Amino acid sequence: MTLGVFVRKNRPRWQRLETMLGLIERGGPRRTNRSFLQELSTFYRATTADLAFAQTHYRGTTLLLFLHQLVARAHNQIYRPNRFSLRGCLRFFRNEIPQALRKHLQAITWSAIVFLLGTALGLSAVQFDERAASIILPTNVLDSIYSGHMWTGGIFSVVPAPVASTFLFTSNISVALMAFAGGLSFGLITAWILFQNGFMLGVVFKLCADYGLLGALLEFITGHGLLEISAIIVSGGAGFVVANALLNPGSYSRSDALAEQGRSAVRMAIISVPALITAGCIEAFISPAHFPVWFKIALGLTLGGVFWLYLFFTGKSVQANTPR
Amino acid sequence: MSTLNSAWDARKTELELPEEIDLQLEVANVGSRTLAILIDLALGGMILFIVYSLMLLLTRDVTRDLVTRFSTHAILTLLLLLIFGFQWGYFNLFEWIWNGQTPGKRLLHLRVIKVDGTPVSWIDILLRNLSRPIDTFGPMGLIGLLMIFVSRKAQRLGDLMARTLVIHETTIDWSIFDEIKSPLPSSQISNAPAIRLSSTQWELLHRYLNRREHLQADVRLRLSLSLYENLKPLVKGTDLELSPLPPEDWLVELAQRT
Repeated sequence: MTLGVFVRKNRPRWQRLETMLGLIERGGPRRTNRSFLQELSTFYRATTADLAFAQTHYRGTTLLLFLHQLVARAHNQIYRPNRFSLRGCLRFFRNEIPQALRKHLQAITWSAIVFLLGTALGLSAVQFDERAASIILPTNVLDSIYSGHMWTGGIFSVVPAPVASTFLFTSNISVALMAFAGGLSFGLITAWILFQNGFMLGVVFKLCADYGLLGALLEFITGHGLLEISAIIVSGGAGFVVANALLNPGSYSRSDALAEQGRSAVRMAIISVPALITAGCIEAFISPAHFPVWFKIALGLTLGGVFWLYLFFTGKSVQANTPR
Repeated sequence: MSTLNSAWDARKTELELPEEIDLQLEVANVGSRTLAILIDLALGGMILFIVYSLMLLLTRDVTRDLVTRFSTHAILTLLLLLIFGFQWGYFNLFEWIWNGQTPGKRLLHLRVIKVDGTPVSWIDILLRNLSRPIDTFGPMGLIGLLMIFVSRKAQRLGDLMARTLVIHETTIDWSIFDEIKSPLPSSQISNAPAIRLSSTQWELLHRYLNRREHLQADVRLRLSLSLYENLKPLVKGTDLELSPLPPEDWLVELAQRT
């Protein structure tokens, strides 16, 4: 069959398939329309047969390129993954995230160790030389500590809480996601972020203790601190999972290990988003406000406890997965 | 012929379908991917610039009445959310709702697909886009560029992690295969012997004949001459060899006989 005859004979069905795909891509008839779907699958299979024929007989033609693309487009619509559903979302949070985290407790432990190492170094740095604080803390914070006041009072009286909370959670989430992405730098950026945040915590603690602000600091930090630090440590763990895949791929190839481990790492990183939004709101609305201390302590412990209990104990049952 | 060749010389990827066919798609090259990113960045930058200017205009007002203060704070929050959303949300959102395309990718006909040819799921999209700070944004972009340049399927780190690749979709122009409108009387054609052209030659001839109306006069003449020269040896021994027709009519005549 010459190309001309082949095209003239089969072109109507390619065009029909194209218009059908156009309809679907613009969100036209979906699952409900049975005859439409049957027609689609018939035309799809016929066109793949045409493609196979063209592959043997018409190498190097534009027609072949067109048919490849047409089949790819149809294939994309026919084999598309499950659309976003509420049930899928629920399963993601109830099962997939905690399961991913429990698989990688070692990475989270390392993440916590690096963070605490930073804290210890921050404490001892200020112990050794008070001026060490100026490497990491901005001057206005330093000035207010030296004059014996919490810096938070100044900041939160100028900026209203909604703006402050937005600023806090966006920058914290950026840090957490960066800690995850940093795994691709063989964990160097992840470790640096964890260390830096731990170091800052250590410096602030020691400095406030030296200037008699320890009580005020604890009162401020207790409401949101546990949740915030936990979230950063979990996403740091996610970064270390990625780094470990690159460094110790085991029996996989490096790129396969990366793809395999990345899928559970991103689940661990995602949980930091809702956690940090919550922590940011508390830090802006409740922590600087005049709530009783016991309330802040109870709130902080509850949130931190719920976070870890959720990660350790939910989604233990193996649910029958929907076929994919 | 050159455009045709370049499409095929570009890096291709072979995907295996359940229908036992190897699908060949054209992998997007470094240039178009960089351009797509630049378009996306320009778009985001423009929106941020507008909101930022709006904020400056509002804060310029010194009268600190309640309404201005409220709107200033509202727009500051909006700005914070926009910066954050652009950095972490833009690519994720568009690739999710547009099945692997962002505005920049759509303009350049690029699309993200899985390595096995299936559409991307939202976990894949998260994986490839959350890793952008390491291999796309700012000076880190050099790493991504290098990876796309070197790796066989033009995958950057994020693509490797998500098992995705970016393909180039050429728009399909079926008009190549339209029937040739002939100004010649068809009576003299019916009894003439058929001529065999290879499929690439057939396509080339039809592509020219269907496009000739849109070509400039000199280009049209030059192309018809070059085609005439190239196809002439094929008609040896038929009456077309000695045909006195001018090149373009001769080509139409040839198209009728195949």
